Amino acid sequence: MPRLKIPTPFSQLPLVDPGVPVLKSVPRLMWWIATGMKRLLVSGTLFGIFGIGSMAAMPGFIGQAVQAVADKNQDQVNFWAGMILLLGAFTAWTTIARHRRATAMWVTCATRLQQLIALQANKLGADLPKYVSTGEVVSVNSNDVERVARGFDLIPRFIGAVISFFVVAIILVRGAPTLGLLVVFGVPILVSGIAILIKPLERRESIQRAKLSRASDLASDTVAGLRVLRGIGGEDVFVARFKAASQEVRVAAVHTARMRAILHGLEVLLPGVLLIGVVWGGGMLVATGNLQIGTLVAFAGYSVWMVLPIQTMVEFAQRWASASVSGKRILKLLSVTPTNEWGSKELLTVDSIKDLKSGLEINAGDYLVVVSDNGTNIDELVDRIGGYLDINSVEINSIKMSQYQKQSVRAKVLVQEKDPTILSGTVETHFAVINSGEVQVSEALNAASAQDILDSLDGQGMTAEIIERGRTLSGGQRQRLALARSLYVDSDLLILDEPTSAVDAHSEARIASRIKALRAAKTTVIISSSPLILDTASKVALLQDNKVVAVGKHQDLLNNNELYRSMVVRGE
Amino acid sequence: MKQFDSTKLGIATFDPPPMNTSRVAKDFGLDRAKARLPIASEKTVNRELMTLFSQHKVEFAVVAFLQVLTVLAALVAPRAFGNLLESLKDGAGRSAVVTTVTVIAIALVVQTVFAYFTRTKAAILGEFVLSSLRERFVQRAVQLPPDAIERAGSGELLNRTTTDINHVTWAVRDALPVITICVSEIVIISLGIFFTAPIFLAAALITLPFVVALTRWYLRRSPQAYRVETSLYSQVNSVLVETAEGGRTIEALQLGEDRLIRTRSAIGRWVQWEQYTMRLRTRWFPAVSFSYIAPLAAVLLIGASLYANGEISLAQVTAAMLYTQMLADPIEGLLWWIDEFQSGKASLSRLLGIYEVPDREIKEGDPADDQIAGDRVCYAYRTGHNVLQDVSFQIAPGTRVAVVGPSGAGKSTLGRLLAGIQPPTSGRVTVGNTEIGYLPVEQARSHVALVTQEHHVFVGTIRENVALAFSSVPDDQIWAALRAVNADSWVLLLPTGLDTEVGSGGYKLVPAQAQQIALARLVLANPRTLVLDEATSLLDAKAARNLEGSLNEVLKHRTVISIAHRLQTAHDADLIAVVEAGEITEWGSHQELLLANGAYAALWRSWRDEH
Repeated sequence: MPRLKIPTPFSQLPLVDPGVPVLKSVPRLMWWIATGMKRLLVSGTLFGIFGIGSMAAMPGFIGQAVQAVADKNQDQVNFWAGMILLLGAFTAWTTIARHRRATAMWVTCATRLQQLIALQANKLGADLPKYVSTGEVVSVNSNDVERVARGFDLIPRFIGAVISFFVVAIILVRGAPTLGLLVVFGVPILVSGIAILIKPLERRESIQRAKLSRASDLASDTVAGLRVLRGIGGEDVFVARFKAASQEVRVAAVHTARMRAILHGLEVLLPGVLLIGVVWGGGMLVATGNLQIGTLVAFAGYSVWMVLPIQTMVEFAQRWASASVSGKRILKLLSVTPTNEWGSKELLTVDSIKDLKSGLEINAGDYLVVVSDNGTNIDELVDRIGGYLDINSVEINSIKMSQYQKQSVRAKVLVQEKDPTILSGTVETHFAVINSGEVQVSEALNAASAQDILDSLDGQGMTAEIIERGRTLSGGQRQRLALARSLYVDSDLLILDEPTSAVDAHSEARIASRIKALRAAKTTVIISSSPLILDTASKVALLQDNKVVAVGKHQDLLNNNELYRSMVVRGE
Repeated sequence: MKQFDSTKLGIATFDPPPMNTSRVAKDFGLDRAKARLPIASEKTVNRELMTLFSQHKVEFAVVAFLQVLTVLAALVAPRAFGNLLESLKDGAGRSAVVTTVTVIAIALVVQTVFAYFTRTKAAILGEFVLSSLRERFVQRAVQLPPDAIERAGSGELLNRTTTDINHVTWAVRDALPVITICVSEIVIISLGIFFTAPIFLAAALITLPFVVALTRWYLRRSPQAYRVETSLYSQVNSVLVETAEGGRTIEALQLGEDRLIRTRSAIGRWVQWEQYTMRLRTRWFPAVSFSYIAPLAAVLLIGASLYANGEISLAQVTAAMLYTQMLADPIEGLLWWIDEFQSGKASLSRLLGIYEVPDREIKEGDPADDQIAGDRVCYAYRTGHNVLQDVSFQIAPGTRVAVVGPSGAGKSTLGRLLAGIQPPTSGRVTVGNTEIGYLPVEQARSHVALVTQEHHVFVGTIRENVALAFSSVPDDQIWAALRAVNADSWVLLLPTGLDTEVGSGGYKLVPAQAQQIALARLVLANPRTLVLDEATSLLDAKAARNLEGSLNEVLKHRTVISIAHRLQTAHDADLIAVVEAGEITEWGSHQELLLANGAYAALWRSWRDEH
C-alpha cells in the first residue's frame, strides 16, 4: 500500500472559537450552522449531483451495450464497455468525494454544537441545576447534537437524488411516454407502500427495545448486587426474574422479526411488480417495433435504480423531522441566560464575614468550628457564607456580598462540600488547580493523612488514574483526597463541611491537628461535631434553630453549656 | 493558548491514530482495561457453536432449505428477461411477452413467500438461541465464587452482561442471517452464471481476489479503529457530564477554562480518529465499488465475441450481465458482516469465559457450634506482602466484637475471611471447628453473613429488596426487620409503603436508607453470626448509635463482629480488637483496654476530652 497521506476536509477541528450562534429560531440556528460550512456544503452537493447522476446513467450505458451486442457491432461494444468502466470510475470518485464532505459536515456541526454546549455549561457553572437538569444537558449533548449533525450529513445526497430523479424521469418520459410515466409514478407509490409499514415496525421495535433494556437492566442489577446475593442468598429469585424478562424479549423480537420479514418481502415484491410492468409494456412496444431492445434493458435498469433516490428523499424527511425536534432542544439549552446578582467590586482581602440570618461572624485568622442542632439547616448556612445562596444576606468586610465580583469572591473563599466532586484524571491533575503556591502537594496530602492512597493506587503514585466521581476509591479515601486538594488551594477563607465524616478515628485525630497547623495564617471554618476536631478549634460556634446561641472555647462550652454538652459528648 | 495533556482525559484515553494507514492497528489501548475474568479460547467458542448447531439441526436445515429456494426463484427473472429479448429480436410476438411476464410473476411470488418464511424461521431460531445464551450466562454469573466476584470487580462482569451480550445479540440477530443469505446467494448465483456459460463465471469473478485482498486490508484496521472512535465520541460526552455535574466544584476551584480545554482535547482526539477511519474508507470504498463494475465490462466483451461467433445466445449474454450485477450485493454484504460476526465471536468468548472461573475449593464439613476462631491467620493479595500476619483469636457465641484501627490495617480483609468469602493464605479461620472458607457458599452464609458499606439497592419494591431469597415471607416479618434497623418510620411515610419501587429508575433512597435496607435483609436472613464492615458509616453518629442499639436488641443471642471507624461502636461492644499493620495489637473489653493504657486508651481519651 502506498504511504499516501490524504488530507481530510475537517483537519481544522476542534474550532478555536465556536462563534456566537443565532438563537432566534430553529431555522435561523440551522442556517447559522450551515453558513459556517458553506464551502463543504456547496462542493459536497456538487459531488452529490455528479455521483448520483452517474449512477443513474449506468442503466442507459448497459442498455446501449446490450443493443450493440444484439447488433453484433464490435466497435460499439468496445466503446460502451470502455464507457461503462469510465463511468464506474467516475462514480467511485465522486461518491467518495461526496462522502468525505458529508462526513466533514456532520463532524463540523457536531463539534461546533458540543463546544457551544460546553461553553454554556461553564457559563452556568454552579447555577446550572437552577435552570436545567444535568440529565437534560447530557441528553442534548449525546443525542440531539448527533441528530442535527446527521441531518446536514444527508444534504448532498438528497440534492443529488432529487436532481437525478428528475433528469431520469425526463429521459424516460421522452423515450417512451407511457412506460416513462409508469416508472415515474410507480416508484414513489411503491416506496410509500413500503413506508406504510415503517411506522408499525418502529412501534414494534420500540416495544422490543424497551423490553430489552428492561432485561438488560435486570441483568446488570443482578450482577451489580451479586456480592449481596452471594452473601445472603436469593440468586434463584433474581435469575427467575431475569429469565422472565428475557423470554419477553424473545417474544417481542420474534414479533418484530415477523413484521420485518413482511417488509423484506415487500421490498422483493414491489420492485418486482414494477419490473413486470416495464417488461410487459416495454416488451409489447418492442414486439410492435416501437422500441429498441437496448432501450428496454435501460428502462428495466432505471426502474430498479429509481428506488434509490426515492428512499433517500424519505430518509431525508425522517432525519430532518427528528433534527428539528432536536434543534428545538439545543436552542432551548443555548438560550438559557443566567441572571447576574453579583456586583463589580473587587474583593482583595477577607477581613470579616457576617451571616445576617444566623448571626455567625468569622474574622480573619479564625479557626472556627460550627456545631449545630437538628433544627438548623447547616447546608444553607454553608451555601450562604460560601456565596452560593442568598448573597444579599451575607456581608464581607461589612459590605453586602452581592456588591462584589463573583470571580473575586470565588478566588478568596473556597467551600468543600459534604460530598465533594472528584473529577476524572490522574492524581496529578487532581491537584492541577489554582493555588496560593505556599502549600506543597505533599504537605497537603500529609495534612489530609492521604499518602496511603497514593501507595494503594497500584504503586503508580501521582500518575495513577482516578475515574469519574472517584468510583474506584472508598468513601474515606475520596474524602481525604478532596480535603488534600482544598488544603493545597490554600484560599484565604476555607469552609470545610464535615471533612472527616467517613474517616476512621485514628486518622481523624491526625488530620485535625495537621489542618490546624497548616492553616495557621489563614481563616478556616469547619462544620463538625467530632470532639477530635472541636478540641483544636480556636473558637466554636453553637447553632440552635438556625441562630448562633453560643460562641467560645470548646472546653468552656463543655463546662458551661448544657445543650453543647449533650450534642458533643457521647457514650455512657 | 493553554495546551492540554491528553493523559488528563482519564482512564479510557486512547493512543492517537497511526500517521499512515499502512500500519496494522492492533489495539490502540483497547485492552488497557485488562480482563480480570478468564476469556474462553477459540476452541471452546467453536465447540460451543457446534453444540448449538447440533442441538438445532432440524431448524437450521429448514432455514437453509427455504433460503436456497428463495435464491433459486430470484434467478428466474433475469434468465426469462434474457430469453424474451432473444425471442423479440428474432421477431417473436406479443404472446412471448405474456409468457415471460407470467413466468417472472410466478417466480416473484415464490421468491417473496420464501423470503418471508426464511426470515421468520431464522428469527425464531436466532432469538431462541440468544435467550438461552443470555439466560445461561446470568445463571452462571450468580453462581460464581464470591472471591472471583471481588477480584473481577463489578465493572468487568457488568461489561460482559451488557456490552458483550449486546454484541452477541447483533451477531446472531443480524450478522448470522445476513452471512448465511449472502453465502447461499453467492454460491447459487455463481452456479447460475456457470450454467449460463462457464466462461462467464471467470469474467464475473475477475476482480474478486482484488476485492477480497482490499477488504481484508480494510478489515484488519477498521474494526478496532471504529471501536476507538465510538469510545472517544462518548468520551466527549463524559467530559461534559463531569462539567455539568461538578459545576459547583469547577466554579469553586476555578477550573472553567480547564474544562473547555478538556472538551477541546476530547473533541480533537475523536476528530483525529474520525479522520483516520475516513482515510481508510477513502481507499477502500472507491476501489471496491469500481471492482463491481469492471466484471460487467468483462462479461460484456466476452459475451459479445461469443455471440458474434454464434456460440451463445443473446439471452445468455443478458442473463449473465444481470447475474453479474446481482453478485455485487452479497459479496459486499458477506465481507462486511463477517467482521461484525467476528466481533460477536470475541464477545461470545468473553461470555463463555465465566464458565472457566475455577469453582470454590470445597472441603465438606458441618460446623459443630458457632464458636469462631482464627489460628495463625495470614493473608496476602500479592505473595510476600502479608496484609494479615499471624492473627489468632477466639470468639464465643453471642459476643459482640468491635474491630478498630487505622485505614489499611487489614480490618476489611479480616472481615472477609471471617465471612468465608475466601480462605486465608495460611492458617485457619473456623466456625465450630470447620474451615468456613472451604464450605459451599450456601452453607457458609447460613452461618456467617457479611454486610459492607457497599449498599446495592435492587430494582424492585422495598419488600423484594428486604426479602431477597425469602420471597414468600409475610409482610409483618418484613416490617419487623425494618423496625429493627429503624427504617419502618420512613417506609411508612412512603405513599406506597412496601410496594414502593426503588433502585435504578425508581424512588431514590439516600445512602443511609440504602444501608438500613441492607441491614434489614440481614435481620430477615437471620444468620448465626454477622460481620458488619462499616455497615452504619453513612448514617450520622446519632442515628448510627440508635440503629446499633435496636439491632443489638434483635440480635441479642447472635455473634456480631463490627468493623467500625466510630469509637462509640467500640465502646458499646463486649470485646474490642485493635488491628494495626496486619496484627491484632490489643484485645479485650473497653475497660480492660483503658486499664492497659495503650493506643486505644489514648485515642479514647482524646476523643472524650479526658485530658
